Amino acid sequence: MKILIIEDEYALLKTVEDFLLAEKYVVEKATDYYSAMEKVMIYNYDCILVDISLPGGSGLEILRAMKKENKTGNIIIISAKNSLDDKISGLDMGADDYLTKPFHLPELHARIKAVLRRKQHGGKQILTLGNSSVDFVQRQVHIEDKLLKLNRKEFDMLAFFVTNKNRLITKEILAEHVWGDNINLADNFDFVYSQVKNLRKKLKETKSDITIENVYGIGYKVTT
Amino acid sequence: MKLVNFLILRITLFFTIVMLFWSAVYFFLQMKEIHDGNDEGLTNLKQEFIAKANATPGFVAALKDNAPLNLIIKEITQEEAESVIENFATTKVYFATELEKEEVRMLTTAFRCAQDGKYYRLQCFTSTVESDDLIKNMLYLLLGLWVALALTVVIVSKAVISRTNKPFSQLLDRLKKFRLDDSRMIDLPSTQIQEYVQLNKSVKELLEKNIHVFTEQKQFIENTSHELQTPLAIVIAKMEALLEKHQDSKEYAEEIDGLLYILNRMRRLNSNLLLLSKIKNKQFAEATTVNLRHVLDSVIVDFEDLAAYKQISIEKKGDASPVIQMNEDLACILCANLVKNAIAYNEQNGKIIIRYTPAAITIANSGNSAIKDVFNRYQSEKSSGLGLSIVKSIIELYNIGISYRFESGLHHFEIKLA
Repeated sequence: MKILIIEDEYALLKTVEDFLLAEKYVVEKATDYYSAMEKVMIYNYDCILVDISLPGGSGLEILRAMKKENKTGNIIIISAKNSLDDKISGLDMGADDYLTKPFHLPELHARIKAVLRRKQHGGKQILTLGNSSVDFVQRQVHIEDKLLKLNRKEFDMLAFFVTNKNRLITKEILAEHVWGDNINLADNFDFVYSQVKNLRKKLKETKSDITIENVYGIGYKVTT
Repeated sequence: MKLVNFLILRITLFFTIVMLFWSAVYFFLQMKEIHDGNDEGLTNLKQEFIAKANATPGFVAALKDNAPLNLIIKEITQEEAESVIENFATTKVYFATELEKEEVRMLTTAFRCAQDGKYYRLQCFTSTVESDDLIKNMLYLLLGLWVALALTVVIVSKAVISRTNKPFSQLLDRLKKFRLDDSRMIDLPSTQIQEYVQLNKSVKELLEKNIHVFTEQKQFIENTSHELQTPLAIVIAKMEALLEKHQDSKEYAEEIDGLLYILNRMRRLNSNLLLLSKIKNKQFAEATTVNLRHVLDSVIVDFEDLAAYKQISIEKKGDASPVIQMNEDLACILCANLVKNAIAYNEQNGKIIIRYTPAAITIANSGNSAIKDVFNRYQSEKSSGLGLSIVKSIIELYNIGISYRFESGLHHFEIKLA
């Protein structure tokens, strides 16, 4: 999977690159409008992360040019601008998702995965971990062909965990991903703990190979 | 008290005192003039009488028995005569024809008649203007004059002052409607009066300066919080990468997690600040018809896990589906912040009651005592503390009403749509 990151802030670019490299992606970089334009016009990428404010031009211009050339490339806008106008025009111009800075790396990863999944038409999207399989399209989990009944939030949690397998997911990142940024309250750590506990219990009862490991009370990690 | 009335009251009061004083002076001068005239007549009469009495033998004796009605002659001793001091007095004498005592001016004197060498006391009098009649008449006249003058003063000053003050009262009205966050200059009333021209000029300068500073400050807050996003993004991403790297060491991991917690608080605070200034800078366009019941219902779905965990029951009352013209995202933010507030400041096993009526939505939650100045409660342990400030600025943006009250153990937030 080849990903292009268009971001002028080098420190951020580097961090995202390192993270994506660790996830076994092939990563290309562009730090200004012109080099980005050149890259998107010449090469094809599985996913493009684009910042809106770039030296030399706007990320939205890149989207417009790509649309004109009928180039589609699973675009995720990453912007410090929370402005809805940008979001709407970005999505109108063919972007698939919009992520506001600052963001969490596991969240970015989940978004990339989701975008990649959405573009694979018809193909089943099933992630298998040991005896368990997670179907992202049907939103179902099977453990050795037996359906595991999960509610919406429990599935969201599990999907996020397995997408970020072997990564440490802090409670905060998990809460924000599943319940949204709105949920954030100081006492939500205990809340997340109890929700994960329920999910873990269900997995254990069905003898799933997916185990959610508790990491020093900071967060969780899924291993198989 | 209105300026006009204040001025009129003062003028009238002053006027009354002056009039009263002058009326008294006028009255006494008038009386003195009358008495002077009378006294002169009486003096002449006296002199004539004494001269005649001295020159004509038997004149006094004849007159003593047959005195005219305005003369009283009485023989007295020398000592008595010497003790009489010639004086004028206002006194009363009985007139048979009038059947009452009338006021008269009386001269009392004593003389020695050259003819018989005897001493006499002479009292001659003349009827005069009755002072109480004069007072009465003057009082009526003056009272009439006062009323007429007072009315004139009131009407004329009211008309003149009101007309003169028109630019002033217009300016006042417009200043009352002025809102700094509106950033719009008021129309200044046109006037020829120099003081008001100066007032207009000063107000204009003051307002323009304020608008400028306020706009600049708003822009500054927005720019700053916007600029903070990228560095924050870098630090958070790097910290997360660091956590990933050091996850084998409990000590490091916990330390980094603690830092991340603070950084995330900063991030939320910053994005709320950004949101707040965006709302205040009116950067949310596109009002659509929003069904607040639907918005609130979907918000509640997001929060129901948390509410259930905290054992807070959410109850909905009423069938109304109130609609409003506003930006849909802001409607979501508004509802989310209210629900979040209702959960955060609730108690264990508490409740939230949401009541829908066609013109209002009330969100009530259990909690301890009433909170003062709830919409400006910036500092908070539980969240960024900006939640209700955001609510307030959205409410203000769309001219919706919101009220807070603490009633029977419940905090009530009522959004009035009509």
